[in-house]
Amino acid sequence: MMETWILAAEEGAEASSGLDLLLPATPELVGGIIAFGIVFFFIWKWAGPAINRSLEQRQQAIAGRLEEAEKAKAEAESLLADYRQQMAEARQRASEIIDEARQAAEQLRDEILAKANEEAAQIVAKARDEAAAERQRVLAEAREEVANLSLDLAERVIGEALDREAQLGLVQRYLAELER
Amino acid sequence: MIFTRLIAAPLAVEECDYVNQPVCAPENVAELFVLPPIFGQVNRTIILMFLAALIVVAVLYVAYRRPRLVPTKFQAAVDALVSFVRDDVAVGIIGPEGAKYFPYLLSLFMFILVGNLFEITPLVNFPITSRMAIPFFLSLLTWFIFVGVGVRKHGISYFTHLAWPPGVPTALKPLVGIIELVSTLLVRPFSLAVRLFANLVAGHVMLSLLLVTGVVFVANIGEIGVKGAAGVLWFALGVGIFVFEILVTVLQAYIFTLLSAVYIESSIHVEH
Repeated sequence: MMETWILAAEEGAEASSGLDLLLPATPELVGGIIAFGIVFFFIWKWAGPAINRSLEQRQQAIAGRLEEAEKAKAEAESLLADYRQQMAEARQRASEIIDEARQAAEQLRDEILAKANEEAAQIVAKARDEAAAERQRVLAEAREEVANLSLDLAERVIGEALDREAQLGLVQRYLAELER
Repeated sequence: MIFTRLIAAPLAVEECDYVNQPVCAPENVAELFVLPPIFGQVNRTIILMFLAALIVVAVLYVAYRRPRLVPTKFQAAVDALVSFVRDDVAVGIIGPEGAKYFPYLLSLFMFILVGNLFEITPLVNFPITSRMAIPFFLSLLTWFIFVGVGVRKHGISYFTHLAWPPGVPTALKPLVGIIELVSTLLVRPFSLAVRLFANLVAGHVMLSLLLVTGVVFVANIGEIGVKGAAGVLWFALGVGIFVFEILVTVLQAYIFTLLSAVYIESSIHVEH
């Protein structure tokens, strides 16, 4: 079997030269030129411009979209900055309000304290005055009582009525001298 | 046997002794590539060339018929390829002027890519770029374009710059000039064509050999016994190469396009 193969190969080598392999065959050359011509003509006239249009449109679209995205990003950033500023302002405002409230509270407390102190002092003073007046009154009452008692005592001892008006004056004079 | 006959069918051998020959062995490796005409002078290769053109046109038409701002998955995939050629190859290599050459470079890339991918497309399995016609014509076209651009931009001084390069010591100028002339005007188109052609020929030969050998070994396991099991190994290796060829086909399409752009750029900016 192998022999027939080798024989066939040898015969073939004699029959057709390798040049058939290396040189372009005329019908194939013509066919190839026409086929390539069809491809080139189609691409030159139709596909090339269509491709350029399509790719450029897409490039523009992508560039446009990038630009939009860039714009949106810038907008978002400025918004964020605004919000941050507003937040900072609000925070400052809040702390101001708290400070004010604290000050007001302190002031109020001081005022109330001062008023309370004053009132307390007034009450004390009044109480002291009243106490003094009471003492005076009690003292006066006691003095009168003492005078009356002494007169009553004296009348018992003597056994007769005395000139009450004159005697009272005497006793009271005496008491006043004692106090002195 | 019917299976081997199916595999062997594209090899297009007219007389085949299926009893003694498990596969219709091609007489010459050229038979893997030189396909017989189907009608007139049109063979399978030529039909595949038009199929490739049709696929390129259809893909671009579907993708850009109604381009949407938010692309469909298909459009996004085509966009990735197309904008790669436009932004990285045409404008990236040549500069702002490169936009002018974008249709040509895209045509090159798409046509070669589809032509190459036929190598690993099931039921097609034949890279049209493994026939010299397409690499030859396209590299010649690139040659005409970059020489034409050089002449239009710099007039006759395009050639004198090559032959008598500035910035080279005078004693070396004749030598460098000859090297430059030969490499720019002869080697460039030649290597451009042969690189593409040879890569695809090698890939097709490897895939055909490994996959067909694997199938033949296994299919004839009754005749050759345990040895037939080696066919599994061949087939597995073929599948490995198959995956590798995906890379090669895409890479070769890219390289051809990239080098065309580089050559055009070097004609626009001659002073280096």
